[in-house]
Amino acid sequence: MAAAVRGRRFKWSLELAAAPGGRPRGAAEGRGPLGFAERQLGEGGVHESDKILMEKRCWDVALAPLKQIPMNLFIMYMAGNTISIFPAMMVCMMGWRPLQALMSLSATLKALESSSRRALQGLVFLVGNGLGLALALYKCQAMGLLPTRPSDWLAFVAPPQRMEFTGGGLIL
Amino acid sequence: MAPPPCFEAPSAPRGLLGAPAGCPARCLHPAGGAHAGFPRRQRRGRPFGFEAPSAPGARPGAAMAAGLWALLLLPLAAAVYEDQVGKFDWRQQYVGKLKFASLEASQGSKKLIVATEKNVVAALNSRSGEILWRHVDKGTPEGAIDAMMIHGQDAITVSNAGRILRSWETNIGGLNWEMSLDTGSFQVASLVGLQDVVKYVAVLKKAAISLHYLSNGHQKWVEHLPESESTQYQLLYSHGTGVIHVLGIVPQSHLNILTFSVEDGEITKQVIRVAAPWLKSLNGVCSVVGEAVLVCMDMGTHSLYVCSLETEQEMKQIPLQSLDLEFADGFQPRILATQPNVISPSRTQFFLQLSPSHFSLLQYKHGLLSHLRDFQQAALVSFATTGEKTVAAVLTCRSELESLTCSNQTYNINLYLVETGQRLLDTTITFTLEQSGAKPQQLYIQVFLKKDDSVGYRALVQTEDHMLIFLQQPGKVVWSREESLAEVVSLEMVDLPLTGAQAELEGEFGKKADGLLGMFLKRLSSQLILLQAWTAHLWKMFYDARKPRSQIKNEINIDNLARDEFNLQKMMVMVTASGKLFGIESSSGTILWKQYLRNVKPGSSFKLMVQRTTAHFPHPPQCTLLVKDRETKMSFLYVFNPIFGKRSQVAPPVLKRPILQTLLLPIMDQDYAKVLLLIDDEYKVTAFPATKNVLRQLEEIAHSIFFYLVDAEQGKLSGFRLKKDLTTEESWEVIIPTEVQRIVTVKGKRSSEHVHSQGRVMGDRSVLYKSLNPNLLAVVTESTDTHHERTFIGIYLIDGVTGRIIHSSVQKKAKGPVHMVHSENWVVYQYWNTKARRNEFTVLELYEGTEQYNATAFSSLDRPILPQVLQQSYIFPSAISAMEATITERGITSRHLLIGLPSGAILSLPKALLDPRRPEIPTEQSREENLIPYSPDVQIHAERFINYNQTISRMRGIYTAPSGLESTCLVVAYGLDIYQTRVYPSKQFDVLKDDYDYVLISSVLFGLVFATMITKRLAQVKLLNRAWR
Repeated sequence: MAAAVRGRRFKWSLELAAAPGGRPRGAAEGRGPLGFAERQLGEGGVHESDKILMEKRCWDVALAPLKQIPMNLFIMYMAGNTISIFPAMMVCMMGWRPLQALMSLSATLKALESSSRRALQGLVFLVGNGLGLALALYKCQAMGLLPTRPSDWLAFVAPPQRMEFTGGGLIL
Repeated sequence: MAPPPCFEAPSAPRGLLGAPAGCPARCLHPAGGAHAGFPRRQRRGRPFGFEAPSAPGARPGAAMAAGLWALLLLPLAAAVYEDQVGKFDWRQQYVGKLKFASLEASQGSKKLIVATEKNVVAALNSRSGEILWRHVDKGTPEGAIDAMMIHGQDAITVSNAGRILRSWETNIGGLNWEMSLDTGSFQVASLVGLQDVVKYVAVLKKAAISLHYLSNGHQKWVEHLPESESTQYQLLYSHGTGVIHVLGIVPQSHLNILTFSVEDGEITKQVIRVAAPWLKSLNGVCSVVGEAVLVCMDMGTHSLYVCSLETEQEMKQIPLQSLDLEFADGFQPRILATQPNVISPSRTQFFLQLSPSHFSLLQYKHGLLSHLRDFQQAALVSFATTGEKTVAAVLTCRSELESLTCSNQTYNINLYLVETGQRLLDTTITFTLEQSGAKPQQLYIQVFLKKDDSVGYRALVQTEDHMLIFLQQPGKVVWSREESLAEVVSLEMVDLPLTGAQAELEGEFGKKADGLLGMFLKRLSSQLILLQAWTAHLWKMFYDARKPRSQIKNEINIDNLARDEFNLQKMMVMVTASGKLFGIESSSGTILWKQYLRNVKPGSSFKLMVQRTTAHFPHPPQCTLLVKDRETKMSFLYVFNPIFGKRSQVAPPVLKRPILQTLLLPIMDQDYAKVLLLIDDEYKVTAFPATKNVLRQLEEIAHSIFFYLVDAEQGKLSGFRLKKDLTTEESWEVIIPTEVQRIVTVKGKRSSEHVHSQGRVMGDRSVLYKSLNPNLLAVVTESTDTHHERTFIGIYLIDGVTGRIIHSSVQKKAKGPVHMVHSENWVVYQYWNTKARRNEFTVLELYEGTEQYNATAFSSLDRPILPQVLQQSYIFPSAISAMEATITERGITSRHLLIGLPSGAILSLPKALLDPRRPEIPTEQSREENLIPYSPDVQIHAERFINYNQTISRMRGIYTAPSGLESTCLVVAYGLDIYQTRVYPSKQFDVLKDDYDYVLISSVLFGLVFATMITKRLAQVKLLNRAWR
């Protein structure tokens, strides 16, 4: 390993490119960095595979929500139905992500523009997110977070109006 | 598994102050400073009511169950911290109406010993009127005090109809000794002296006389009295000569005089058949004066009879005409003599009362009767002795003409020397009673010799309304006590009025619109008033800030009464058995007004109703008291303003017939007074107020107004329907045969009660609707057969409109007294189980089921489905003396039962512990519902006593009232004492804690704001620098 103190500017420096024997600096500059190829890549063969890739990429985007579902199901199963901070956070995330995706639907559709089956892909994306949302709702329901029972509205039940007035007691 | 943090709080109960006694040692932890029983308050430590055993290796399920228990029990602790003692609560102690009183005959004496009709022996501080010590005996006739005698530092009392003889040390109130005597109707007791020393106490009963040593109470001798079947022995006399004279009478025939030797009880002399055919009784009519001379008064012949007990055997007649004395017709004359010391003879002077206001001072000496002085207009007379001097005190009305009525209520007390009847100079006390017209009833005098040998005295006067006044020359009231408060019979809490400014604002919105300009001007004027009030407040604050803190006292008087922010301060209107009404400010216990109703006989029944609250400014609030005489059955209404105690201008209707019951309707007249209906014994109804408006409204809703009357004597419950012409017709009747059982209690629901939740949420999230029948009555009966095998109590839930029996049950082998609370959809009652020999609670809850029949309106006439009744019983370790449920403004806060124990403590028991849905085997669903698994015993935890060591003697009732804060309920317990406090059944969820750290929070807030500002500035500078680079 050759290490040399050069000049007064640096205390020390390490010259990786320096060859044994002390070749002058600058001689290595023509070589380029590692992995540098002098030859240019051909363009003709790439076109076909690119399209397929694009299509595949678009399908990936469209199917992503559906692929999430088994994972979500597993998480749901693991989280249980008790209401505590982690399951609640999970349910929130499960509900929030499809909602976010649906809100940015136009952006996704734009990304799918290059695809030839973009209508189908859009639909699949929509259905996937819808399913995710439904799953989140189902989870909420299972956890008892949805006000679907009369007990959830009990606090708002007004007392019935009194139709008769009574009074009296033991004779004074 | 790490236990949850709340399990690591074993030191928490240290901060609690729970019990007067029996508190576990850890409650009164000695660590943390010098404090006897009052632990130092930890600044931010919250009280935990209990200590759960932490089980590190326990199963998760068990830990969860324990956690659930922790959650459930956590809000149950209701103890106070040391520095909260006396902050929200106060207690006032009373002794009752005086029966006997003794004032020491020396100027420096500090106490007076009293025995009262409430069976209390007490010592009062004569300087301040405070109770030095007090002993409360049983409230029943068993505890009644029959006689009290004072000898030196000892007070001797005879109680329980002559069964118990006690000696008290009067300085500290300790019991010297106690003796139980033989049975026999008690007549009289007296101290007996022998040769200048008082050594014995003699007790005379119907058939025997016994002599006891004063030092230890042991019996010296007991002697049977001859001919005790026919002879009534009523008088006992001795004067240190070694003999005791006992006088017996055979009414309208003759007298028997027995003389016993003190030494061995032998009858040394027996004089029988002293003819006295005119004499019916010795009490009051006869007295012993001088050296054992019996003086009797005969109405028929208008003459005095005298007879020396030691020498004579005949009664000598002295006609009174010789003294120019005349009798009032129909008045039983009385003779009042005095014996200053039992070892010396009685005074030869005595008072003869000839009419209610006419007293005469007479002297019988050496066989001669002489007239010393006449008191034509005296209200009360009394003797008092100091040293060798005996004086007579005479209380007269100041205006001579009207001694009996005394309309200006100003009285004089004068002293007269008994030997001559001369008035002592400079001994007049002049005092004025309140204008309500209560007359003086008892007079006790404390005389003493001043340094210059003149006579000085103090006087204790008891008036008809049981007020005690201690007076000093020349008429200074040293102190006064309102002893009628020892027997409160009815109580209501009324909101205080708003301040003037608030009331003005309220009035602005309450009134009807009177044009745009008018409204605008009104608004301006009310804003001006507000501004004025605010500046006055600021000025007061500034003014007070300069004074030292100790001098600033927020004294409450009738002029600065105003509602506080949260309506925690109220006016307590108390009706006492003597017929005196009180207005007491609830936060301090100050009596703000009192009013004595003269025409109230003892033993009347009262019903107090609030017709108009303070919410209707400018109309004054209005309370109505119905008073019904027990004997004549006649009733009258007294209408008054509960804030100022003044009689109202509104004229109540004159009630010609006895009133059976009342009903306060929610409808109002145009002056916002609720309509009061009174039903009389002909079942006709009188309305008050009876304006046209009211009558029209009544006509409209008459078909929906029902009365129920319960006649306990005949065992009859009956319902009446109001007709349009204000008569009634009977609509139902339930007979409970009196041969088998008698009705003891009937309880409806409180009309002011507000139930927030119409049902209960079950574990599966369905709703179990409560059956909230506002017309429901709970009737408790007790069996007439009291044999422990056959006795029972019955409970009936009856609809007050239709008479339908909704539920009835009989508790076998159970006995009263039954205490009951009826509220919302539940009834809790307590009784004695004769089989298991314990007190038990039973709770009944009524539910409609999972469907509501009619959610919008409740009509008793349309209820096809009977409610489901759930029932559960519990063992309670103590008897109880009163029970009530907490009540809050909106009914959101959980309910507690306030249980007054005979020990004087008030236990706050969560209703959740008395819940018939408590499961025997907890399931997932019951756990979801937070139901506590059933355990039969309800324990008394000292931390749940809301009155820590402020016990309430002989508690008779607890009154609860909602405050403006949903979390807070005001509680007044009354009996011999009165105690007021606040309870928070679900803790103070709507108020910041007392020890809330304002400084920390605000400093953090300010710090953050400051830091934000600085960092913003720094960030700007940095950005600028970067831009320059």
